[in-house]
Amino acid sequence: MAFIKLNDLELEVEDGMNIIQVAQQVGIEVPHYCFHSGLSRPANCRMCLVEPHEFFPPAGKIVPARQLATGCTTTVRTAPEDRKLDGKYDFIVRTDSPRVKQARENILEFLLIHHPLDCPVCDQAGECKLQDFSFNHGRGTSRYIEVKNIPPKKDLGPEVLLYSTRCIVCTRCIRFCDEVTGTGELGIVHRGSKNEIDIPRKHDGTPTQLLDNKLSGNVVDICPVGALKSKDFLFKSRPWFMKTVNTVCAGCSVGCNITLDFKDDGVYRLKPRYHEHINQHWMCDDGRLGYHYVNSEDRLQTPMKRVDGSLVPTSWADAFGMILEKLSAVDSESMAIVGSSQITNEENYLLRKLADQLDVGTVGIFGRNLGDEYVYPKFTIEADKNPNTRGAKDMLCQGENEVLEGEPLWTGLSGKEFVYLVNGTPERPIDETECDVLEKIGFLVVQDVLLSEVSELADIVLPGATFAEKDGCFTNSQGWVQRIRKSISAPGQAQPDWEIIQQLVKKLGGDIDYNFVGEIALEIAEKVAGYKDANHQQIGDQGILIST
Amino acid sequence: MAFEFSEENRPKLENLIKCYPVKEAAMLPTLHLAQQQNGYITEEVMDCVAEVLEVSVMKVKDVVTFYPMFFEEPVGKYVIRVCHTLPCALRDCKKVLEYLKEKLGVDVAAEKDLSKGTTTDGRFTLMKSECLASCDVAPVVMVNDDLYKNLTPEKVDEILNSLEEM
Repeated sequence: MAFIKLNDLELEVEDGMNIIQVAQQVGIEVPHYCFHSGLSRPANCRMCLVEPHEFFPPAGKIVPARQLATGCTTTVRTAPEDRKLDGKYDFIVRTDSPRVKQARENILEFLLIHHPLDCPVCDQAGECKLQDFSFNHGRGTSRYIEVKNIPPKKDLGPEVLLYSTRCIVCTRCIRFCDEVTGTGELGIVHRGSKNEIDIPRKHDGTPTQLLDNKLSGNVVDICPVGALKSKDFLFKSRPWFMKTVNTVCAGCSVGCNITLDFKDDGVYRLKPRYHEHINQHWMCDDGRLGYHYVNSEDRLQTPMKRVDGSLVPTSWADAFGMILEKLSAVDSESMAIVGSSQITNEENYLLRKLADQLDVGTVGIFGRNLGDEYVYPKFTIEADKNPNTRGAKDMLCQGENEVLEGEPLWTGLSGKEFVYLVNGTPERPIDETECDVLEKIGFLVVQDVLLSEVSELADIVLPGATFAEKDGCFTNSQGWVQRIRKSISAPGQAQPDWEIIQQLVKKLGGDIDYNFVGEIALEIAEKVAGYKDANHQQIGDQGILIST
Repeated sequence: MAFEFSEENRPKLENLIKCYPVKEAAMLPTLHLAQQQNGYITEEVMDCVAEVLEVSVMKVKDVVTFYPMFFEEPVGKYVIRVCHTLPCALRDCKKVLEYLKEKLGVDVAAEKDLSKGTTTDGRFTLMKSECLASCDVAPVVMVNDDLYKNLTPEKVDEILNSLEEM
């Protein structure tokens, strides 16, 4: 530990931290553009200048160093006893001296030389570091009267646009492609004031390689200005009109921490949120763009029943009535309950309760087919495209019962008279054997969010909610239990899956009465092995690792 | 058409790479060698260099577009660089430049259009240059790798004549 003096504060900090991070810990902002804690530090934006102090022997006292230093590359180390400043400090630095303030003003004036000031039409406005720092630290005016460079707008790849005029060449995006994905598509072309970020092109301008990797969307997030823009979110909404919740991506079993931006009419954007052990600063494009089905117009809005071979809308009462009627006519041997690795722990837990209530022996998990695994130097996208495979297993597999998956599940389901199946994903194709088995089931109830290949075969379809429309927990492949949070409401009469299952259990005479999901989580913490601390309060924003 | 280093240049390249702790560090000399062989740097040359040095193509492009000494378009056999920085300007490099323009019948090459400064017979390319570090003998001109000092229109004639003979 090093003992340092930052402005007038005396701090005990870890060796190896830089001044930006140290200041951040105590709530002092050192403005910076090129520094990103997930990337290397070229110190090229010069925005984070701070004023270190040193001992000046001729004067016999501690004075500001002759030159300002960049905060990002100035790291704090414990000094040897004889080199301590004032007899006790390892390091003395100021982030608020007049020299530092003047330097910030000057740097900002340079950075804004070729910047177009097109904030009114720029997507970044409102979450733009150039705006924020100009407001907080800038001069407010420019002395530059010459002609501005106007480099062209560029299409870098399937997800990303580059507005070169707004770029301040901090090179975060280049370092991301070099260090995190290892694909190296981006670089700087030309020199000095004419330099631009670009992809490899022929001399006539046609690209030879596109920014087309599974993580390309992250460059938009790390761009501190409005230069790199997401094609998906372009001109959709001003950031200040959206509300934000901290949640978890439902795209695969990695369970990236994300923030979800939404308005009353739907989900607008997913962005990664830092988690040290899971996704660091990043998320993949499949997850980032995988929210569109939530806003789909084809979402199931009412329960549906099969009449003369086709599905027609009905009421909840009617649907439950039909299910109960069927259940009373079928013995528990020929029933099966199939949970889903798309729905939350709490919901799977309630399905377990349903199975116990009906005394059903055959319990399985209906997962999405496996996708491809992508391994990048600093990020892995897992092949299991379900957010909660592990959690579903933990919840459904209580006591002696085995939870069926894959091949055994379909053998187990064949010839059943009543099957209650939860899907929850729009992209779950079913193959011939699966289709055969499902078609032959006497009475198939499917809980789903969209009309999928599975729900097309159902006798009753119950409209559930997506990950954006309910609270709950997912357990990722490493065993992190993390919370998803409700943003918008489910469309029409659709309900969060746990409420549907609870109603059914209640109607069957089950003795449960949960008012909110947290209550189920409390019970899970009590009853499921390994989930001892997994109540919502303790899980919080960073999740907890289940004990095994 | 794919570019490859010639039989003659391959051992040179290997020696070059050996001089540096990491392959990427041999970027500049490798590009010089490639330009010597091919005349200018094409997409294929960049692909080849990237492969040889085990870096991304963009890293090579980065370097090629940074330095004005690498050409992305065909240039003449003799590249004439007229220094136009302050001392040369004070010693009337403009006169030298105008004389060369008239004599060769070309304009000065633009940054992204070298053909503007290249004679139709493909012998000369005329371009402006930043300081050539010989201010004491201004105005100066560099033709390929040779420096010519204290220039006047008469001396320019001499130089061009000597180049004609070569």
